[in-house]
Amino acid sequence: MSNEKQSSLRKIMAIRGMGAAITAFIGLIVIYVAFGLINPAVFSGQNIMNLLRSMSKYLLIGIAQSYILITGNIDLSIGSMVGMSAMVAATLMSRGVNPVIAIVVALACCLVCGVVNGFLVGKFKLPPFIATLGTMFITRGVAYMVNSNRNTDAIATGIGKEAGDSFQNIFYYGTTFGVYNTFWIALIFFIIFFFLLSKTRTGRHIYAIGSNIDAAKLSGVNVVATTTKAYLVSAVCSCVVGLILCAQAGMGNMEAGNMYEMYGVAAGVIGGVSPLGGTGLLLGTFAGAAVWQTLENGLNMIGAQVGIQRVVIGVIVVAAVLLDVVVRGGQFKKKKGN
Amino acid sequence: MGEIIVSMKNICKSFPGVKALDGVDFELRSGEVLALLGENGAGKSTLMKVLSGVYTRDEGSLEIFGKEYGDLTPKQAQEAGVAIIHQELNMCKHLTVTENMFLGREKRGKVALDNSSMEKEAKEILDDLKIDISPNQIVGELPVSKQQMVEIAKALSIHAKILIMDEPTSSLTAREIEDLFRIIRKLKSEGKGIVYISHRLEELQHIVDRVTIMRDGQYITTMNFKDTTMDQIIAHMVGREIKEKFPRVECEKGKKIFEVRNLNAGRMVRDINFSAYEGEIVGFAGLMGAGRTETTRAIFGVDPKESGEIYVDGREVKITCPMDAIKSGVVLAPEDRKKDGLCTKLSIRHNLALPNLDIVCNKLGVVSSKTEEKLCEKAVEDLKIKTPNVEIDSGNLSGGNQQKVVVGKWLARDSRVVIFDEPTRGIDVGAKVEIYHLMNDLKKQGIAVVFVSSEMPEVMGIADRIIVMCDGRITGEVMARETTQNEILTLATTFEDKKIGKSEGGNEEHE
Repeated sequence: MSNEKQSSLRKIMAIRGMGAAITAFIGLIVIYVAFGLINPAVFSGQNIMNLLRSMSKYLLIGIAQSYILITGNIDLSIGSMVGMSAMVAATLMSRGVNPVIAIVVALACCLVCGVVNGFLVGKFKLPPFIATLGTMFITRGVAYMVNSNRNTDAIATGIGKEAGDSFQNIFYYGTTFGVYNTFWIALIFFIIFFFLLSKTRTGRHIYAIGSNIDAAKLSGVNVVATTTKAYLVSAVCSCVVGLILCAQAGMGNMEAGNMYEMYGVAAGVIGGVSPLGGTGLLLGTFAGAAVWQTLENGLNMIGAQVGIQRVVIGVIVVAAVLLDVVVRGGQFKKKKGN
Repeated sequence: MGEIIVSMKNICKSFPGVKALDGVDFELRSGEVLALLGENGAGKSTLMKVLSGVYTRDEGSLEIFGKEYGDLTPKQAQEAGVAIIHQELNMCKHLTVTENMFLGREKRGKVALDNSSMEKEAKEILDDLKIDISPNQIVGELPVSKQQMVEIAKALSIHAKILIMDEPTSSLTAREIEDLFRIIRKLKSEGKGIVYISHRLEELQHIVDRVTIMRDGQYITTMNFKDTTMDQIIAHMVGREIKEKFPRVECEKGKKIFEVRNLNAGRMVRDINFSAYEGEIVGFAGLMGAGRTETTRAIFGVDPKESGEIYVDGREVKITCPMDAIKSGVVLAPEDRKKDGLCTKLSIRHNLALPNLDIVCNKLGVVSSKTEEKLCEKAVEDLKIKTPNVEIDSGNLSGGNQQKVVVGKWLARDSRVVIFDEPTRGIDVGAKVEIYHLMNDLKKQGIAVVFVSSEMPEVMGIADRIIVMCDGRITGEVMARETTQNEILTLATTFEDKKIGKSEGGNEEHE
């Protein structure tokens, strides 16, 4: 019996990227406890609730960027898509459009951006850094333009206080089973995309093109479709984060989601997703997002200044990768040759 | 001999500026191994890419199993049973064996992927081929030879009946080649047709039934292997008689130039002692994974040494990084040209100048194009590098010419010791002879040449003295003219007592 247990444990540990993911979880616990010892309020129920809610955004962004990183690409347009989603949804609602329709329109805008990204990178073989740099500017521009270069009015002025409140509650302020809805939303997407990546053909192909795109192509993998699917996942996640930010503020902010694409890279990389493609688990991304948020939250709680926070986070990102390269001789090392 | 399963007639294919195939005929029968031979650039790979649908032909007809195909797509070719095993392995290194075998045609259960049934099928195929690999292994962790077996297994899993193998043995050890041949014979006995492309002509006798020879994009001839001789084959390939396959020059053995004492660096380099003299070529023989490459890397300062002294012209030199080695006159032409020898995306000029920037730059560190020009001209001339000009990307050159550029990098300096690590791998007969001449020239100039090679005939033909390694140690030293292949092979397989806590797997380590 114990033998069987051992072998199944070994099987789990043999999954590529599992080591890095577990390291990130251990790091998470260490950081959390360390902050808690300095300021016991970190352990309070309310703080845990806040923590889960604020990590949700990073989790979604992390999923978005991890999908892209695993294909060996990058998506710089994530933050702009967040902003576009928030602005489109808020503009429509502040003018009295039904929230459901507003959400659908915002989602459609993001999906268009995802398809464009996928085609530029997958079909026209543009370097992803350049392609998504372009769409980053374009989508941010759209975010500015939808409400004529101004932040929107409160959404309640358009759809009324009742509908406005319920929109805000669903995406941000309300709770279910004692936990903020934001976290449940993120968790549902996490489970869906976790399944997609680890258990389906599409997921397998995403790893394959990140590992060796030529081999994948010669095996009959549709590289354009797979790349596009990955960028669509990124677009969906970004859209949801945009809606969350819109609900949080009760209005649309043109600068919403600024720099989020880089937070996504950080969450993924801390969790062991290789920016060179081919490896990484969303479980790691989960831990990475949590580490990120715990740091931000903990540093706040012990009264550290914003500048210090940024420095610490930067150090953690580099240290996570350095640890992998030095200790495990790891996956982040640049591919030799070719 | 079986019926004809592939028939290609009058195949033409042009690329901008080049006629790669010019009216080539090709036939393959079931249950045979056909060697497709020719120098690099003869059009073998292009022809096979036409057969596997990667390229579409400009002219000519193509039949597979009697069915005529117009524009063949890779997918159609695959469905017709054509599988190609590429020289540079095409595997997703992060994925497992099963995942690679089923890539692009994964089996689905009701909701998720049906991993267990794919694993089971993979295991059946591997077992059937008697390949000892777990289907759950991550491919990147397997030695190259095993990865190749996985490619073959993958081809069989899609029911391939026509297998094209492009240089399958170029990175295998003798034992692994034997394994591969066993599998090839098995496939042949099952009636599959196998196209075998190789530059290692010696190994053809073990498996090949017929040979088809191409030259400069044209079909030359097809012969039964039994009715021909190696010399005939080579004459057809190069279009001229090569008088000496292994040209040897006799030189007076002079004073000791180079000595390595008690070199240790990790498990694959243990207690290495040897010296090289003026006017001789020292060969390093051994099986793949014997530690020869590791030894050259340790000497050159790429990998750290644990201990050991190196003497050049009687003076001890400290080498901790490649720059130290270069400055003391020890240079290395590494094993993998494309990976370690050249910056393939840079021009020939930039490659040649790279290790000589101290010579071609003035005091301020500005490159003098005049000096650089001179250096390049000299290298191109001395080495007969075939290229229209030196601005061409070195990656676009043929294997033989690339090797010349690698060597050319070092000729501008007064090097005392030149180490060649597998300089002839993957290049054709004609170019090989040129490399041999090059080594002989160095030898005549009084430079110590160290020549690492896994191909026994060339070590015996070119080197004067042969040092044999096995498992990280030197197991013997013989004079080339007084030894036999058997003697070398015996030395190359003299493993230490295995009981000293070493696993079987350790011996198969890949380089």
